[in-house]
Amino acid sequence: MATTTAKVAAIEDGSPKAVLTQDDRRALLRYMLLMRATEERALTLYRQGKVPGSYYDGRGQEAISVGTAFVLGPRDRTCILHRDLGAHLIRGVRPGRVLAQMMGRAGGITGGKDGNMHFGDTELGCVGMVSMLPDMALVTCGLALTFQMRKEPRVAMTWFGEGSTANGQWHEAMNVAGVRKLPVVFILENNQFAYSTPNEREFAVDPVKRMEAYGFPGVKVDGNDVEAVFYAAAEASERARSGGGPTLIECETMRMHGHGAHDDMRYVPKEMFEVWAERDPIDRYEKKLADDGIDLDEIHASVKDEIERETEWALSQPMPEAPTALEGVFATSEPRLGDGNAPWSHWKGAGNA
Amino acid sequence: MPQMGVSVAEGTIVAWRKRVGDWIEADEPIVEISTDKVETEIPSPASGRVAEILVEVGETVDVGVLLARIDSDARPGEAHVDEGPASEVIGHRSEVIEKDGNGHAPPISPVVRRMADEHGVDLSQVEGSGRRGRVTKKDLLAFLGDKPDTQHPTPETPAAEPALHSESPYREEEPAPAAATGSQELSVMRRQIGAHMVRSLQTAAHCTTVVEADMSAIEAARGKLSYLPFVARATIAALREYPMLNATLEGDRLTVHDEVNLGIAVSLGEDGLIVPVVKNAHELSHEGLATRIKDLAVRARSKKLTPDEVSGGTFTITNPGAFGALLATPIINQPQVAILDLEAVTKRPVVVNGDSIAIRPMTYLCMSWDHRALDGAVAAQFLSAVRRHIEGFDG
Amino acid sequence: MPEMTYLSAISDGLREEMRHDESVFCMGEDIGAFGGAFKVTDGFIEEFGADRVWDTPLAENAIIGTAVGAAVEGMRPVCEMQFADFIACGFDQLVNVAAKMHYRQGLAVPMVVRLPSGGGFSGGPYHSQNPEAWFLQSPGLKVVAPSTAEDAKGLLASAIRDPNPVVYLEHKHLYRRVKGEVPEGRYEVPLGRARVAREGTDLTVISYGAMVSVALEATEDIDGASVEVIDLRSLVPLDTESILNSVRKTSKVVVLHEANRSCGVGAEVCALIAEEAFEDLDGPVVRVTTPDVPIPFSPPLERAVLPQVDDVKEACRELLAY
Repeated sequence: MATTTAKVAAIEDGSPKAVLTQDDRRALLRYMLLMRATEERALTLYRQGKVPGSYYDGRGQEAISVGTAFVLGPRDRTCILHRDLGAHLIRGVRPGRVLAQMMGRAGGITGGKDGNMHFGDTELGCVGMVSMLPDMALVTCGLALTFQMRKEPRVAMTWFGEGSTANGQWHEAMNVAGVRKLPVVFILENNQFAYSTPNEREFAVDPVKRMEAYGFPGVKVDGNDVEAVFYAAAEASERARSGGGPTLIECETMRMHGHGAHDDMRYVPKEMFEVWAERDPIDRYEKKLADDGIDLDEIHASVKDEIERETEWALSQPMPEAPTALEGVFATSEPRLGDGNAPWSHWKGAGNA
Repeated sequence: MPQMGVSVAEGTIVAWRKRVGDWIEADEPIVEISTDKVETEIPSPASGRVAEILVEVGETVDVGVLLARIDSDARPGEAHVDEGPASEVIGHRSEVIEKDGNGHAPPISPVVRRMADEHGVDLSQVEGSGRRGRVTKKDLLAFLGDKPDTQHPTPETPAAEPALHSESPYREEEPAPAAATGSQELSVMRRQIGAHMVRSLQTAAHCTTVVEADMSAIEAARGKLSYLPFVARATIAALREYPMLNATLEGDRLTVHDEVNLGIAVSLGEDGLIVPVVKNAHELSHEGLATRIKDLAVRARSKKLTPDEVSGGTFTITNPGAFGALLATPIINQPQVAILDLEAVTKRPVVVNGDSIAIRPMTYLCMSWDHRALDGAVAAQFLSAVRRHIEGFDG
Repeated sequence: MPEMTYLSAISDGLREEMRHDESVFCMGEDIGAFGGAFKVTDGFIEEFGADRVWDTPLAENAIIGTAVGAAVEGMRPVCEMQFADFIACGFDQLVNVAAKMHYRQGLAVPMVVRLPSGGGFSGGPYHSQNPEAWFLQSPGLKVVAPSTAEDAKGLLASAIRDPNPVVYLEHKHLYRRVKGEVPEGRYEVPLGRARVAREGTDLTVISYGAMVSVALEATEDIDGASVEVIDLRSLVPLDTESILNSVRKTSKVVVLHEANRSCGVGAEVCALIAEEAFEDLDGPVVRVTTPDVPIPFSPPLERAVLPQVDDVKEACRELLAY
């Protein structure tokens, strides 16, 4: 395939055409594997009683957060959802900090102030999510509004599930983004169930069809095909970056675990799992890369090694000191969002990383 | 010893307000006496200098006995060896502090208590200008300004460590602490009260019946008034329905009265209590009762009641509820046949409207009655009527 | 110093901050060409352009949520709710996203939400509310409520420059009724500092917002008593020191506000006094507030629920006589 020798030549002429090198593809697979390995380890820790509260993951949805976040530049900003650990990892969050976060340790990203996937590493350009969905869609619009007002070629990206499209704030966000033509990319992860509620009880019409009414493009892709997701996201982010306004990408996928670890998913027909298991995004991509001559064992080994190291680090982190519970209600200074990693060769080649 | 009411035959000297050699104006109180009906001040019949005191404190003498001589030829301003204020007068200053109808002193606020502790001030020495004669912070500051600290040596407790208070500022003041320990002879009034009580217990066949009443309606209506006039009003209404309770029993003769002359027990603090009577109480509204009760209580405490005002009662209400007690078995005021005791009103969960639970201001109405004159069923019916009037109060 | 209405002082303060700091911008419904429902931003769109004077869609969560995003990225948005009552529609973004941002993630959210609040002009149940107490239960928000023109401008400047989300209550009744000398140029009235509106020794009335002038009028001549009036100005953070100092001086306190009674700002002030100044009290702490009812429309009904000068007088007389 041509991509085996692809160059990042696109940068010179300003053309937004996205190209993936073999290293990029190794990276995509590795991030998906790292997400799955981190979540599997977190689930083990949860079952060992080391993760308090509840536990949520994005099993089966790895291609979406990885494929989309991979397109972002260092100065772009994100509001990442709880099924999208891959986006955090791409921006540069270490798995150990995620595990410490879930265990409520001082070394977690919020230092124990918040739990599970409720975090954003602000030094890496992420504003953490809240439980109310899709509140972050509006915050993302605000980030994008700032880029627009300052005439900066930057993009804000956020993720939400199909359940969020039933909420009024989703409409407010789409409307504001459309009215102001904000440089924002909305990733709609249709994982078939909002907790236990299936699509047909959430909406009468596929949300992607609403986009015409909001005045910006809506596209639908196979959410379990990481490269398909990547190309759609790359096009959307370049549209936003060049002043073309927002895009919504609906990624069709399946949540292969319960809403949380407490959810046995008895409401999902067994055949549905079987069908979607066949479409597992990691299995599919591994097969594709293996066929293309990429050494998977090396990637597997490096992920395994990283997770062991990170787990050890996380478990060595102390619990937070009780007095810190009273600290930080009010800001006394204005720490700014930092820039995140941008591992796509496009950014490296451009000297933007 | 003057004739203090038609049936009075003798009187006891409680206190002399003047000493030999003191100047006295006509109508100025000269002596406090006590009879079996009343304790009162006797105004001087003439101006002059007290020449001789013939009956000492504690002695009981018949009506008509000469108590003292006044030299009406003397002139004011002439010095005498002991000229100066009589110590008893100062010592009783606290009694002029107006007390409310429930028979207890006005509250001392947290800041006044703290400042009094810090400056070693005896608050009974301070004139109160606040509600019900309460000593306000301003009063205390004025007092401290008038009387510098040098005249009020700080108590042995260092001022730097004022006592901590845990009361709410809304809480009514505690009654004065009991008298100092050690043995002492009972006051005349205490002896007389004691004799009455013992006689009543020996005479009447006491029974006590209790009903519980919801005070919500009164609570809603009472504004700044105490519960007492409302309960009195309800009691009078019930007495009109059950006149058997509005009666006196002397020997074997039971007299059922037409008019309600309602006795109200008024605490005089350590000194004891007295039962002034609201005459023709059945003609009064709760506002009228409140006014009359207050007037009688004020005058009881300043010893200004006339003998007729403490006699002729047909039913009595005693009201120590402000001190927080829940139940009591009062002793009948002879020769009446019943006495109603109004105890604390406290918020309690009660079952209302079938099976709902609500928080309501509740009280126990405890009535002692004389089984010689009536039976339990009547007592219970009467108390139920009182409750009905209380709970259905609509002005 | 020029004399200004409370309303023009707010406009002036906002205009000065926008001129001085490019990151300050305002957003809200009908604030552009129309100049805002109360004309606070009259003429702004001509001076600053449609980007910085954003006529938003009718969507309160969108206004506040978008402002949060802009604020964390370094802008200083000033949001206008057309009426304070409509904050309920944007409540989620304010209390769940903005308020908790710094505690959870250490991110500053320098934004202001302006709430034209209060009644007294037949606005009815949806244009008369004083919702400040809602925000006292939402740690992370600061809350201010100026009563004078000078404070209106100075507190707005402080609110805009503060690194936290600030709820700025501007009382509609004061807009054109209150006038005062207002310094030219930029100045700040610090957050968290009460103002002694009048010194006194016999009794303290603690109030804020529109009720400060009611307190002053009611106690101007009240049987010769010397009444201190404290204007809190800032409800979060609360100037506990000024409150307690005044209580220690006068020992008698009336707490007055237009908001509903239960769990209002007054309840918090009363609790503070009970905890910290119990031994300085010479009488019960008294509240004069709107009872726990929505604000009715018809003038006699509205008058019956909003605290009036005579209500304050009566409460003060009662307490003075205690």
